[in-house]
Amino acid sequence: MTASLEVKNLTKSYQRKGHPPFVAVSDLSFELRLGEIFGLLGPNGAGKSTTINCLTGFYPPTNGEVLIEGFNIHREPKKAKQHLGVCSQEDTLDTDFDVLDQMIRYGTFYRIDHFEIVKRARILLETLGLMEKSNELIENLSGGMRRKLQVARALISNPKVLVLDEPTTGLDPDARRTLWQLLTENRKQGMATLLSTHYMEEAERLCDRIAILFEGKVLDLDSPENLIKKYIGTEIIEEEIRPGVIWKRNPNLEDVFLKLTGKSLSSGDSE
Amino acid sequence: MRPLWAKFEEAFWPIRCVWLRYLHVYLKNWVYGLVTTFVEPLLYLVSFGYGLGSMIGSVEANGISVSYRQFVFAGFVAQSCLFQGFFEAAYGSFVRMYYQKIFKAMASTPITLSEVLWGELLWDATKGTLSACAILLLGSLSGDLSPWGSLMAVPLCFLGALLFSSLGLWMAALSQTIEQISYPQYLLVFPMFLFCGVYFPLETLPETLQTLASFLPLTALLSLIRWLTLDFPFQIQALAVFIFWLVLMVFISRDTMSRRLVK
Repeated sequence: MTASLEVKNLTKSYQRKGHPPFVAVSDLSFELRLGEIFGLLGPNGAGKSTTINCLTGFYPPTNGEVLIEGFNIHREPKKAKQHLGVCSQEDTLDTDFDVLDQMIRYGTFYRIDHFEIVKRARILLETLGLMEKSNELIENLSGGMRRKLQVARALISNPKVLVLDEPTTGLDPDARRTLWQLLTENRKQGMATLLSTHYMEEAERLCDRIAILFEGKVLDLDSPENLIKKYIGTEIIEEEIRPGVIWKRNPNLEDVFLKLTGKSLSSGDSE
Repeated sequence: MRPLWAKFEEAFWPIRCVWLRYLHVYLKNWVYGLVTTFVEPLLYLVSFGYGLGSMIGSVEANGISVSYRQFVFAGFVAQSCLFQGFFEAAYGSFVRMYYQKIFKAMASTPITLSEVLWGELLWDATKGTLSACAILLLGSLSGDLSPWGSLMAVPLCFLGALLFSSLGLWMAALSQTIEQISYPQYLLVFPMFLFCGVYFPLETLPETLQTLASFLPLTALLSLIRWLTLDFPFQIQALAVFIFWLVLMVFISRDTMSRRLVK
């Protein structure tokens, strides 16, 4: 399969006054293939957002390179970003516009024909259940709607590579499923998706491969099934969840993560 | 080989795109836009130009005698560049950078952060120019300012507004909170507005203050505007000071904002 995104020996460190540089991401290498959903799994502070800021060209790497559809994002940002859609962790919606205008405005940044943008925007808003809010100002949307709109905006250019940083944080279960369905559909169309998440269920369900990131380093990279098989096995796990109540469950990525790092996915400080 | 125009269009298209984003927002709230762009300088104009101006009569500056109204008309042109440019860039860009985070959002598309910042500065300068143009037009119609000189002053006003927008963007980049922008506002912008010769000739100030003021960008801009609109003598030093501040501010503001956003 062709690699849509290639990350080669990516290292990012931050200079600190009076201290040695802080290495947020160290020697990260992986590739994202056509039609693949690739997960970056790690707790807050693992280096996921730094990695994504480097992948999307916003932060220059200290070392290494990032190629999108063969274009180096730091040397040829325009060509590379023409194929890239980004939904960052923070809310970056343009509150000066209503929902539809926002989509159209960002579509123009990709030099897409106006009628085509309007068509795509309407389809995306419809798919994500935002069409009836198309003339609403952003401030009138709920947190979940804002998040969905940010994903929709990232998709306006119909990118070959989609980068989603914690896209389902704050979404209700229904909205989360709608988004999962959209990502699954996009995968069928050949879109390569990089998904940063700390929700193991999301990673297990959606991702073809997962890189477990901890303290800026990849501890392992494989399919969720292989990771679980490799580190935990296939035996049913029994846990006493309340005094005298035994819960039997299948092993999951949380167990893998605990085994590899000694910490749970929900631990760690915010990046 | 592609024609030169195509290359030019390709280079400036992203900046134009960002500039149009601001224009779109401005036109959506056009009543608000008109009020905030034109009302303040016009109020100053009526109050000082017609109110105080009728009491003072004429003033002498740089060896030229003009009516006080003419003198402050030209002063308010420069003041508009300062206020509109600085405030739009300082507070506006802080909101866009810190709260809305739209610099980052726009820079996630094929538009680069450098182009986003150019678009921001050019829009802020456009707003300052619009405001200055309103006074130039009024001054020309009332016969207080030379119509041809006023027309020639428009590009100068744009550069002046660009200078003060850059100052605003720089302050936004340096401020950790929006309240911190008040420091340069009270310690730099207001003193410039009061002591650079908007209301009175610099010659009336003590010599030390005169020398200090002559190195400030508003003094230089005022000198050039009065040269064009009131036929004051051309001062090469003013042009040099103006170009120095313009180049320095544009460079430093963009560099500081980029460093703040890109780690």
